[in-house]
This record gives sequence, structure tokens and C-alpha cells, in this order.
Amino acid sequence: MITVEVALYGTLARIQGGKYVAQTNVQVTNDATIKDLYEDLDISPQDRGYLFINAVLCDVPGLNAAIKEKLHDGDHIGIFSNGYMWPYQYRDGAQMSESLTSVLKEHGPLHHTYKKEE
Amino acid sequence: MGKKILRINMSDMQTSYEDVPEKWARWAGRGLTSAITYDEVDPTCHPLGPNNKVVIAPGWVTGSPAAPSSGRTSFGGKSPLTGTIKEANSGGLSGQKIAKLGLAAIILEGVPKKDKWYTLVINKDGVEFEDASGLIGKGMYDVDEILWEQYPNEPAVIGIGQAGEMKLSNAGISVNDPENKPGRYAGRGGMGAVMGARGVKAIVVDDTDGPGVDIADADLFKQGRRKLTKAIGKHDLTKKDGGLNAFGTNVLMNIINEAGGLPTRNFSAGQFEGAALNSGEKVAEIVEERGGEGMTGHSCHPGCIIQCSNIYPDEDGSALVSCLEYETAWALGANCGIDDLDYIAKMTRECNDLGVDTIEAGNTIAIAMEAGVLEFGDKEGALKTFDEIREGTPLGRIYGQGVEATAKAFGVHRVPTVKGQSMPAYEPRAIKGIGVTYATTTMGADHTSGYTIAPEIAGVGGKVDPLADEDKDALSLTFQAATAFIDSTGYCLFIAFPILDIEEGWAGMAESVAGVTGLDITGDDVIEIGKEVLKMERLFNKAAGFTPADDRLPEFMRYEELPPHNVKWTMADEDLDEVYAWVQED
Repeated sequence: MITVEVALYGTLARIQGGKYVAQTNVQVTNDATIKDLYEDLDISPQDRGYLFINAVLCDVPGLNAAIKEKLHDGDHIGIFSNGYMWPYQYRDGAQMSESLTSVLKEHGPLHHTYKKEE
Repeated sequence: MGKKILRINMSDMQTSYEDVPEKWARWAGRGLTSAITYDEVDPTCHPLGPNNKVVIAPGWVTGSPAAPSSGRTSFGGKSPLTGTIKEANSGGLSGQKIAKLGLAAIILEGVPKKDKWYTLVINKDGVEFEDASGLIGKGMYDVDEILWEQYPNEPAVIGIGQAGEMKLSNAGISVNDPENKPGRYAGRGGMGAVMGARGVKAIVVDDTDGPGVDIADADLFKQGRRKLTKAIGKHDLTKKDGGLNAFGTNVLMNIINEAGGLPTRNFSAGQFEGAALNSGEKVAEIVEERGGEGMTGHSCHPGCIIQCSNIYPDEDGSALVSCLEYETAWALGANCGIDDLDYIAKMTRECNDLGVDTIEAGNTIAIAMEAGVLEFGDKEGALKTFDEIREGTPLGRIYGQGVEATAKAFGVHRVPTVKGQSMPAYEPRAIKGIGVTYATTTMGADHTSGYTIAPEIAGVGGKVDPLADEDKDALSLTFQAATAFIDSTGYCLFIAFPILDIEEGWAGMAESVAGVTGLDITGDDVIEIGKEVLKMERLFNKAAGFTPADDRLPEFMRYEELPPHNVKWTMADEDLDEVYAWVQED
């Protein structure tokens, strides 16, 4: 087993006893991935927002780009609840994982949600 | 009735109300404090000597009816911390009351002939010089309370704590908040010491029966105000129950930490393991758990619709301090290796009482920790540093001079300053654009001078890779200019989020300014007007002896890799020099 530190922001914090924020150590198997972590913590796809592994942005809402990322002992995982904060909180403004970069290239960049009003 | 400049000369105790000369007529807020400082203060003067001044100016729209979140007051002069021109602005009660007295600015100049302290009482009838000897040695919590008991109509109180009395370079200027607490500060750059050098402990401003603020074009003002109010109310960060309203500016703690840009233990790492415990989300949980006087969604001045301030409660629910800002919780938290909000709140209260800037204070404690005077994470020891300042011990006076003086006293070479002022809560190696702003701004290391953190982390106003060097010079200049404009409006800088993202908000800001002032300003003019302010400031600094070689980040950031991204500061000097090359060319 390996241990990773998980920080949950927004409604997901309730999973670990917080209201808006919770941080805890979680034990997972040696070959665990983010998908396993999601399942262990019972985080459903619709609740998944931005996800960081060791300060690298690995997923944004709706893309599921991080599920195959392998976890390592001592990793810090930060997961923001979907819909928490503002909709393009990070956009391209953080260092991104290769898999997320690849998905975004295929999917197209994230866009502003605020349009000029007619 | 046109606005007046109130000039208060402490050398001969004379006051005058002057018409605003043509050369200053188009300025307000930061634009006006910088114009007056540029015109009237010798750039080579000693900041604490008789030739420096404290210029106090509300923004263009401050005091106008229902302009949203527009209660800022600018304080300007030459900084004892940096030796540069300085503008620090604050919320609180002062801006609207000064504006409603029909004043464009207050110029505080000269020094008393005798070693005597004064409280200046300003109302519609003029200025009274009151003996302040009974306030000397008192912190700002007592000063605010005493002056509200002494004077009617719940006036604005602008004051300095013991740090300002001792003329320490980290002394800020306090403005009372709506609950008459000293939570709002023009903190950066030591302007409290400049006020102390004028022999002024406090300024009481009562706007009762004042003439109010003239509106040149009411329809245009209302149109602009409506657009801006709508944009603020729509944006997810500034709307009711949005990020700022629910969690305060400290909503940034987890966001910056997760991206690896949170300076930790004197800028030795970009992630802090205790960040979540210091975050705005945790503050909100504590406020709800403890109940009582604690609250989020607090207004730092009447008429704010963002309401990002908070009142942090003690364990028994009584108000401990307002406000725990992101910068404060970072400086006294992650940067000192401390993850205990109660101690951070106690230290913040000490800062507010003594009258010192929380960013510089936290960085100073981190330097003491780097030097081994304290251990990183020693919250008891950190709290006691404020006793040293209050008592005016030699060690306390060193701490009160800020980071560079403390680093010299203890032989520390990892000193996170630019032009004498320490860096705020964004790691420039991880967030390159903010590093360009730190390096080149006219104010010393200052995030608010060009809030590039908005596109780089928050995803506001564009898409930028924070770890790349490209185009950061142009980005920084644009933001520095936009910020100089916003700092002149009297609007809170946090309107930057909705106006950058929502086009109508940008236009609304400019239209509301044009409506109040009658100036021909549209959204297209914002950057050019901002650059005019920057140019005055840059030329002042040049005359004070600063050159492009001063626009550099500290050396250790060039050779020391910052985990977890393991990045160094790699921006070329020539690119930094490009930011202000246009000033030399003009």
C-alpha cells in the first residue's frame, strides 16, 4: 500500500468530515490510479472538478483526463468540486499534465462563459 | 462647486483651501497623489524629513451615490521603505467622507517646530489642531475607540499606531472600518512613518452637512454604474455568495497552493502542506462553528457589493480581528511555516494595533526564522515579535524596519524584496508575469500594481501559461496601467475580475468616471490614462536615483530551483527593461 495526501475543496469536503475544505491521508494499492482514488472516496463523475497532482493540473470539469494517472507514495492530490468557484478557474493558467494537454488539443481550449451582451 | 485641495502645513499650523489647479484637475485617487508628489516632493528628499508630504485623495467616483465598491482612499508620498514614490490605498470610512466634504485631496506637509503630536479634526467648518498627547503610545484599537467617544457622527479615523510614532519603515496608515475597528490599512511602504514625521497621530474626518460630490452627467454616470454593478453581480468571483463573498480574498490560498505558486518558508517552496488549514474555506468553517460576532461577507466600507472582508472570531465567538486577507494569512502563515489560524489572527490583530503592514511583517518574521532567531513554525515566538516592536526594543525596531533591515542585521542573503519592499503571496518563479510586475513596478514588489495573477492563476481576462517567459513584459505593463487607472477611480481593485471578463463592465467603469467628472473618458482610454500615471511615477523614481538595474528580482531566485515545479527565475533583463522603455523614449 502507498499513502497519498488528498485535499478536497467545496462540497466534496464533506466526504472527509469538512464543510468547505478537508485534507487527509489515504492509503491505496501500489498500482492505484486516480480512477481508483475516485472510487475509494466515492466521488461520482458529475462531482469531479479541477484535479491537481503535485501542483500539475491533470483534469478539468467534464473531461475525465486524469483517470489513468498513476499514484505514487507521498503524492499530493487536490480535487475541487465541480461547479465550485468560478467556471474557468485555471483554464490554461497552470502547468498541465501531458494527458490533459493532449485531451485539450483534441477537445479545443476552454472558453469564457461571459459573453458581451447585445 | 468645484473641489478643493486642503493643504495643512504642520510647520506653521496653517491651513488653506485651494482651487484644484488645471494640471491636477483630471486626476483623483492614485493619479492625484502621484501627480502632487511628482510636482511638489523633491525626489531626493529624506522620506522622514521636512520636504516629504502625505497626500490623501479619494478616487474619481468615491462618495458618489451608489457607485459600487468605490470607497478607496489613496495615500501617497515618498516611501521610507523603498525610497520610491508610493501610493497605498485603503478601504474604510475615509474616502467617502473626504469626498463628501468637497475635497479632491488633503496635503499634509511640514513638521511641527516642537516635538508635539496632533489630532487633526476636519469637518465642513475647517480644520482644528487638537493636542494628541493622550493618544501617544496607544495602539489603533484604543485610538479609534477614544476618538469615536470624543467626536460626534461616527467619523472616519485615519491614524498611526506605535510603529508610526517610532517612524518605522513598515508603519502603515490605518483607516477605521464601519465597526470602528482598525482593519483597513494603506499598509505598504511605510507611509505611516511619513505621517508620524509630520507630528500627526490621527485625522478625524466628519462629513456632516458637507457639500457632497458633484455629478457632471447624471445619466452617463447612472448608465456606467448600472453596467458595472451588473458585471460585478454576474461574475462568479464577485457575485453574492461567489468566491470572494463566501471566502474572502483568502479563497486564493488553496488555488495558488495547488498550482505550486504559494511562497513557503521564506520563498523556499511553492507548496505548503498546511495551506488548507489557513485558507478562506477554513475561515468560513470556523466562523460557522464558533458563531457569535464572526462573519464572512463583511463590508470594509459602506456601499461595497462584493463584501470580501471577514471578522474572524475568537474561540468564544467574540470578534478577534478583521480582516484575514489572503496576503495576511499567507505572510503570517505559509511563509513562516505556521498553520494555525488562531495564531495568524492574533498576529494580524497585533499588526492592526501597532500599525504595521502584514505582508512586510510576515516576511520579516520569515527572515528571522531563516536566520535561526526563531524556528519555522514557531507560532509563539512569531507572536512575541510584536511585543518587541510595541516596546520599541532595539530588536523590535529592527523588525519594524522590515525585511531588508532585518536580513542585514542577521546576515541573511535570501531576501525576497525589490526596491526594498518584500514580495506578496505569489511566487514569481512559478508565476512569471507577477514576477515581471514585482521587478518593474514603480512601487517595489507589489502584486496590486499589476494583477497578472488574474489571467495566470484565476483564469480571468485571458489565457496565460504562468511558467512561460513569453510576452510577460507586455502583459505586465497592460495590467500595471489598468491598475493605475482603477486605483484612480476609487473603485476596489477587485472589480478587475468582472471588468476584464465582461466587456460591459469595463465600459461601465469608464462611463461612471466620465459621468462623475465630465472628463471625456471611454473604455478605450483606460490603458493610456493609466500609463500617464505610471510615467509620472517612473520619472519621480528616476530623479530619486533609480535605474532599470533596480528592476530586478533577488539573485537567489536566479540560481535556486523552486519546488515542486523546480523552476528558476529565467526572465531576461532585456525583457524586463522593455516594460518601461517607452518612458525613456518619450
